[in-house]
Amino acid sequence: MSRNLVELIRRHHGVQAPSALAVLKAAVEDHGEVTDEDRKRAAELSGVPEAAVYGISSFYDDLLVRRGERHVRVCTGTACFAATGGTHVEAVAEGLGLEPGERAADGSVSLAHTVCLGFCHSSPAVRDGDLVDAGPDAPARAIAGTCADAPEPEWVSLLPEPVLTRPGNWSGLRRALDELGPEGLLSEVEAATVRGRGGAGFPAGTKWKFTRAAQGDEKFIVANGDEGDPGSYIDKYLMEQNPALVLEGLALAGFAVGAAHGFVLTRSEYPRSKPALEAAAEQARADGLLGPDILGSGFDFDVTIVEGAGSYVVGEETALLACLQGLRGTVSARPPFPAERGVFGHPTVVNNTETLANMPFVARHGAQAYADLSPDSESNGSKLVCFNERFTRPTVYEVPFGMSMRALCDEVAGGMRDGRSIKAVQIGGPLGGILPASRLDTVFDFDALAAEGCMVGHGSICAFDDHTDIRALAIHLLEFGADESCGKCFPCRIGLRRAHDMFAAEGGRGLVSRERFEQLLETLELGSLCAHGSGMPAPLRSLLAHFPDELGLK
Amino acid sequence: MIAVTVDGIRVELEEGATILTAAKQAGRWVPTLCYDERQAPFGACRVCMVAVEGAPKPLPACTTPCRDGMEISTEDATARRVAVSVVELVLSELPAAPAAHTELAQVADRLAVTGEPRWPGTVHEVEHDYRHPYLAFEHELCISCGRCVRACDEVQGAFALTATGRGFGANVTAGLDSGFRDSTCVSCGACADTCPTDAITEITLLDGLERNGSREQRAL
Repeated sequence: MSRNLVELIRRHHGVQAPSALAVLKAAVEDHGEVTDEDRKRAAELSGVPEAAVYGISSFYDDLLVRRGERHVRVCTGTACFAATGGTHVEAVAEGLGLEPGERAADGSVSLAHTVCLGFCHSSPAVRDGDLVDAGPDAPARAIAGTCADAPEPEWVSLLPEPVLTRPGNWSGLRRALDELGPEGLLSEVEAATVRGRGGAGFPAGTKWKFTRAAQGDEKFIVANGDEGDPGSYIDKYLMEQNPALVLEGLALAGFAVGAAHGFVLTRSEYPRSKPALEAAAEQARADGLLGPDILGSGFDFDVTIVEGAGSYVVGEETALLACLQGLRGTVSARPPFPAERGVFGHPTVVNNTETLANMPFVARHGAQAYADLSPDSESNGSKLVCFNERFTRPTVYEVPFGMSMRALCDEVAGGMRDGRSIKAVQIGGPLGGILPASRLDTVFDFDALAAEGCMVGHGSICAFDDHTDIRALAIHLLEFGADESCGKCFPCRIGLRRAHDMFAAEGGRGLVSRERFEQLLETLELGSLCAHGSGMPAPLRSLLAHFPDELGLK
Repeated sequence: MIAVTVDGIRVELEEGATILTAAKQAGRWVPTLCYDERQAPFGACRVCMVAVEGAPKPLPACTTPCRDGMEISTEDATARRVAVSVVELVLSELPAAPAAHTELAQVADRLAVTGEPRWPGTVHEVEHDYRHPYLAFEHELCISCGRCVRACDEVQGAFALTATGRGFGANVTAGLDSGFRDSTCVSCGACADTCPTDAITEITLLDGLERNGSREQRAL
């Protein structure tokens, strides 16, 4: 990330300037597209040079398509693929008579793809303006212009006492302020070994310790709510159904590391998240739980909610920080780590929203009680998992670590619907490995899944039933990978496009050289700058290992 | 000061120095494309991969700080295999081979990347911008190494250039995609100077004699 651009933004932020991205987003909301006049205005208001604003406007999905009076977006996420094989995407394009990215000549309607709307429990999902509709008839309603907001399912906790699905009541922050103090809180979080829930599994306490120790008068906390993993709607649930718990976790992080301000970066694909968090923050301010001198403790902490603009890689922490500051959401090489140089160049903690939602329990009950939540596993705490529409009872469940994948799929989520059977399950998002039905006895925790080339990731459990075309699944995964590459590092930028084209060639039927494909996967794994390029091979390796005969290899 | 070995050669460095600095100090060659010693390390091209004793996989030399006692191998087979593959991928996105004097061509030559690419496919669309009197931009030769953008930002402070698009569609442009002339470009030439593929070049009076047909017409 350019230090000069960050410094320009820091100076303008000091005088309450909007970010360039915020100005461009507002322009699209106002008149359906970004014009050069909008770019010049964004540059003037934000302090970011015009050329850089142009770069921003060419990066994010939300800024790229000229919108009609109705802007229809079709979800191309993995759960929607598992539900229809992709036919819903074609059906909407055909029904509207538009290619994705097009606007009707009369300006009445426009069409775009989007990944993912987080309605994986009732795929396929579509969006018309800010209405998110889902279910088998949703594509037809999108064509007819009769979309209605789809209902959200209730979440379920398998724990005797819910931790993450209990409404936040700020009791953890109260105990931290009254009894623990910043160092006591940090000690509890480190002792609890709270591993990051956003994918990498890095211990949150270590990040907090580094940031606390970093030099700097001003520090920040960022909640990563950019849950871009197709098939995952866990952070969506936390932000929308339990926003107080996320904000309490954010405040705890601020207290532990010495930060007075936090941000939550939400996804624009989840239009309900930002309003829910803002309402919760407003309530907390009214209750004296956010703002200056919280509960008379002398601790000041407040939050700002920022919405992204459509880019998967923005979930990576350096790209997230770039997006938060309104820049192109590309990845930066580390070091410097955010703990050293983050928001406006200041030391910053970036934690996933679910990771932060664990902190109130740790602060309230301590490290030992946290470890005891998962008695049958080395992994501590509980985990939210979510299931896709192929299951009989798909929703968000709070589970202990240590259950078998089979128990989760069959007993918790009720197995496949419509008499189908499971062919394979992808766990933890698009960078997660894929287990064939024969390996479902694998235990759900960080270490056991890693041994199978899989990961806990975000905790999504996306099943493909026995009708699934494995070659089409490979193309689906690689299309996502190539489309979402930020374009910064060469292996990912070019390699994922080439990997996709190898399988998509000749109408998706050309034979693929296994040797060359594996050489390309190695280049991606070992060469890529971030987890997008190095992680995309994981599910492909799974398919090569378990379904080689269905891939059309030579 | 800390000390490391590069291919068995011991060098002493300041704390925080990168592996690439150590390699240069040891007189060992590490291929690079996005690196320019006048700019902050970028870590985009992934061609400078080296092996470090005890590390599970190759590391980029330009962005990895040395640690005391590190044993670095610049010719490790796995690291070199990745570098060769990446250069092969980069060459495969260009519609024509880069000119022999360019850094890209020289790195490819030294790594012996020749012949048909293993992963052929779409190449960049030809797009020439000759609107500026002194700077020519041939976008199809751009490999998104970011050196021109950083030269304009870090060295010149003109901020006339930006990365554009994303994924395979990434490129670079000036101003509001309006060309150098309608941007904050000060015609310093730092971008052309650092470009490793001749995507941006300075136009000289001799151009008409040396360049291809389209350039001659423009120069005239």
